[in-house]
Amino acid sequence: MNDLKYVGKPSVRIDGKEKISGATKYTDDLEFGPNLHFAAIVESTEAHAKIINIDTIEAENFPGVVGVFTGKDFPFKFGLYMKDRFIFAMDTVHYVGQQIAAVVARDIKTAKRAAKLVKIKYETIHAIFDQMEALKDDALLIHPDLGEYEHVPWFFPQANTNIAHWRKTRRGDITKGFEDADYILEDTYTVPRYAHCPLETHAAVGLCDLSDRLTIWASSQSPHTQRNLFAESLAPLGFTHKDVRVIAPPIGGGFGGKAGVSMEILAAAIATKVKGNPVKIIWSREQEFYNTSQRLGVIAKLKIGVKNDGTFTAINHRLYWDTGASAEYGANVVNAVGLSAIGPYRFHNISIDSVCLYTNLPPCGAYRGFGYSEFMFGLESHINRIAEHLNIDAVEIRKINAIKENDILAYGVEMNPNGLLECIDKVAKEIEWGKEEKSDDPNIKIGKGFSLIWKAPAMPPNASSAAFLKFSEDGSINILVSGMDMGQGYLTVMAQIAAEILAVPISKIRTENPDTDRNPYEWQTVASHVTWSCGNAVRKAAIDARDQIFEIVSRTLYLPKNMLYLEDEKVKCKTKPRFELPLKEFVINGIQAEDSTFKGGPIMGHGIFMPEFTSANSDPETSQGGHPNVHYTVGAAAITLEVDKDSGEMHVKKAVEALDVGKAINPSLVKGQITGGLLQGLATVLYEDMRFDDKGKMLNPNFTDYKIPTAKDVPDEIVPIIVEVPQPDGPFGARGVGEHTMIPAAPMIANAVNDALGIRIKSMPITKEKVALANLKKEEK
Amino acid sequence: MAIINDFEYHKPKDIYETLLLLSELNGKAKILAGGTDLIVNLKEEIVKTENVIDIKGITELNKIELSEDNIFIGAGVTFTDIIESQKLKEKLPILWKASMTVASVGIRNRATLVGNICSAVPSLDSAPALLIYDSEILVQSKTGKRTISIHDWFTGPKKTILTPDELVLGIKIPIFQHAGVYEKLGRYKGEDLAQAGIGIFVDTNRNYRFAYCAVGPIPKRMEKLEEFLRGKEISDKLLEEAAELIPSEISPISDIRSSKEYRIHMMKIMFKRGLQKSVAILKGGRS
Repeated sequence: MNDLKYVGKPSVRIDGKEKISGATKYTDDLEFGPNLHFAAIVESTEAHAKIINIDTIEAENFPGVVGVFTGKDFPFKFGLYMKDRFIFAMDTVHYVGQQIAAVVARDIKTAKRAAKLVKIKYETIHAIFDQMEALKDDALLIHPDLGEYEHVPWFFPQANTNIAHWRKTRRGDITKGFEDADYILEDTYTVPRYAHCPLETHAAVGLCDLSDRLTIWASSQSPHTQRNLFAESLAPLGFTHKDVRVIAPPIGGGFGGKAGVSMEILAAAIATKVKGNPVKIIWSREQEFYNTSQRLGVIAKLKIGVKNDGTFTAINHRLYWDTGASAEYGANVVNAVGLSAIGPYRFHNISIDSVCLYTNLPPCGAYRGFGYSEFMFGLESHINRIAEHLNIDAVEIRKINAIKENDILAYGVEMNPNGLLECIDKVAKEIEWGKEEKSDDPNIKIGKGFSLIWKAPAMPPNASSAAFLKFSEDGSINILVSGMDMGQGYLTVMAQIAAEILAVPISKIRTENPDTDRNPYEWQTVASHVTWSCGNAVRKAAIDARDQIFEIVSRTLYLPKNMLYLEDEKVKCKTKPRFELPLKEFVINGIQAEDSTFKGGPIMGHGIFMPEFTSANSDPETSQGGHPNVHYTVGAAAITLEVDKDSGEMHVKKAVEALDVGKAINPSLVKGQITGGLLQGLATVLYEDMRFDDKGKMLNPNFTDYKIPTAKDVPDEIVPIIVEVPQPDGPFGARGVGEHTMIPAAPMIANAVNDALGIRIKSMPITKEKVALANLKKEEK
Repeated sequence: MAIINDFEYHKPKDIYETLLLLSELNGKAKILAGGTDLIVNLKEEIVKTENVIDIKGITELNKIELSEDNIFIGAGVTFTDIIESQKLKEKLPILWKASMTVASVGIRNRATLVGNICSAVPSLDSAPALLIYDSEILVQSKTGKRTISIHDWFTGPKKTILTPDELVLGIKIPIFQHAGVYEKLGRYKGEDLAQAGIGIFVDTNRNYRFAYCAVGPIPKRMEKLEEFLRGKEISDKLLEEAAELIPSEISPISDIRSSKEYRIHMMKIMFKRGLQKSVAILKGGRS
């Protein structure tokens, strides 16, 4: 693999030109003709209440209104991993902003005006906004029917409690582990909720034609999973999977928020009531904040035992998650952390409790990092504090305990090959770890922060990818896959993989976003797994096509198959240097035999990939016995941070991040991920700050008061480092990297602030206000 | 996002036609200049109005006029116009620096200085400078013109002394020899509303002027501080003493943007650093 021509090269994104020229059509840009209807949503103003009455008469009679729909029109449950949501609230509302009714009209103004006329009578119920209150024995039940909900077999909801899932992992002897420790540190770390904030808000258009063909155009990370959930949920109306089609135009960012199904179900359901007319629903920026999904908040109670030489002896990690009003996706975040909350460290004695709690805040779900950013904040802060206590260097203690290939993971499976130590050393060198820096400005203190990175894809054991690959007359290729390009460059990477195997330049390969009728199955574009999983499917499809090519050439031209190879869009033969046959001459029309007949036909490759070694079945009390994760991607990162001790203002002078990606199929895209992910992570720790009032209403569902980074907030210097220890089952050795890039940001800031000012902040965000006031308090002492 | 409430849109050609409209519509109209507040408020239904009067077409409002002892900034002048004026940078450095901190480039290309004082939110960045310069606001109605001191302009959060039939023509700002800065507290480096803001003015006669925004219901001059420092040479010790007066001059609240405690703390820090900077500029340092 030393002479790769396309893989490992910084190809320009194949969708770059259409994106930067403005040619790209997003869901809201598509034309649906004069019959397009619009739906306005009537939302709950209560966090927890019985719905006594919904009066829709005035809205129905409003001129121009086509229909008003409520829960009674669609008494169907849905959910990705647990069916705990209704399409519209039925008899109870569970959070402020929850959809109760939709008003459909031929224009959005009419729909919105009429929506104001829907009158809802509530009977308020006590609402729970704090997961620790939800955990109490006598807590009011938010989902009294929890025991009856359908869910995946790896969830353990506790009937008659607010616990939607409890992942327990036990390994070794935790009591003895702590007895063997010379020092034990125990503390609590708090991470609040966060919002994804994609540039393009959620958008969906549904069309049910008169033959009951249901098509949904959606800004989506998960077209096939959405199709599956729409079909399942609307089955009582007579729909089966073959009738449902999801078209996913390019999307303006997802970050996990467009995975699974949230508001898109409204477009699918409402379309069935206005047959023949497309109906559009676009979320406002406010709705994007409070009625899609948010990142879960967590209170993490962490206890680690350590020997005087720095060797960890035991970890007890108890994490209490606020998943909001629904756990259908959030509980899988909790599950993932429950299996991995040891971080990239070697522990023999492990106890993890990851507990998913319902509250009356908006539902939570997937968000870039899938729980790892949250628990790594506490874990990586904790490790620095332990190192400080033992007087061991913070990088050294990480190297002592860093997980290695074949070390045993928390759930009893061996760790995959990885370059963690190489990442640590390269980052430490680049950031000049140990070298003290001073500012000329007496108000500015400079600190350095270090953190490791670790994450596995959280996938069902049978999550799969599929690819079709078709040649055309000119030898160009269309690859049909159903992953989503949402900025990471997935389409380009798929083209690079096929280009490498088929010796066709990337400029002759077209890969587009999916239509589930045209493109084969993909589970979802989540979990940083599409390069690995769908990359494998495309690789297999390309190999399949190549096999067909060699087969027909061998059969008609009598050349030995094992001597054939592809180069520069031609078939060549190792034993006949002068032989070359351009692909375009036969990939559609076949090869003419001596008798003037034609042999062969269109070359069409197909490939599927499913990780056949994984299993979610394990002992519910210990999580031993299964193989839930496919592999971990690891890395390390560090920053040099300037902190103004009086104002608390923080400025990242330099950030370094190294990730072992197995093989960077496109190094410039990996570097782009590192830059973007780091910036997103830095925003969550430095200024993003979601606020709710005491009635559960979000106070800052806007960019005036929920701040996301601008160009001015980019660190002065970002040094991305690519480490490549191949993943044996990855395409060309690649493994995932998309989410990992943001994971170290929060603990790095916490550790750098501590290094600069001697202040340890244990709750996110670490705003300048928090730093300034903490320093003021310290100076007053 | 659409504006769902209907209104009549008027686009008068000149000031006179605008004044007639304002009189005729009898308070049931909103003036549209940059629109960066009004349009957002209409979309979010914070403002409902039967009429919108667009004054963007009245070119005579777009003037910046410089005379020997004052500068007149018309109602159509945007923050970008101010930033791009070398004269304003020289003569009104506090206003110029404050303009640089207003929102983002795109907003500054549209938003007007006069619109900023008409919106009159407590956090308006331009107010400390205008208060320090003892600016006067020139307004006109069908019945005549009048001049309003900036010190009388703000009557409460989002409230001014302007009557519904009046149009602001512009702001007259006297020219003083001075150095100064505007210090602003935001949550990050990108665009933000001031959580606290202070304008600082020093001259060679050791006159000091200060005014704040965002730490009281309306922006105000800080007279106790001015009085305390008048005629004195700035020293570290004096700065510390003066900073202790700040809590008695301001009345910040705690809200989702910032706590009262942090606002007070930062007003002291910004006062001390800003004054040192201003003195350095006066003495010929970098501006």
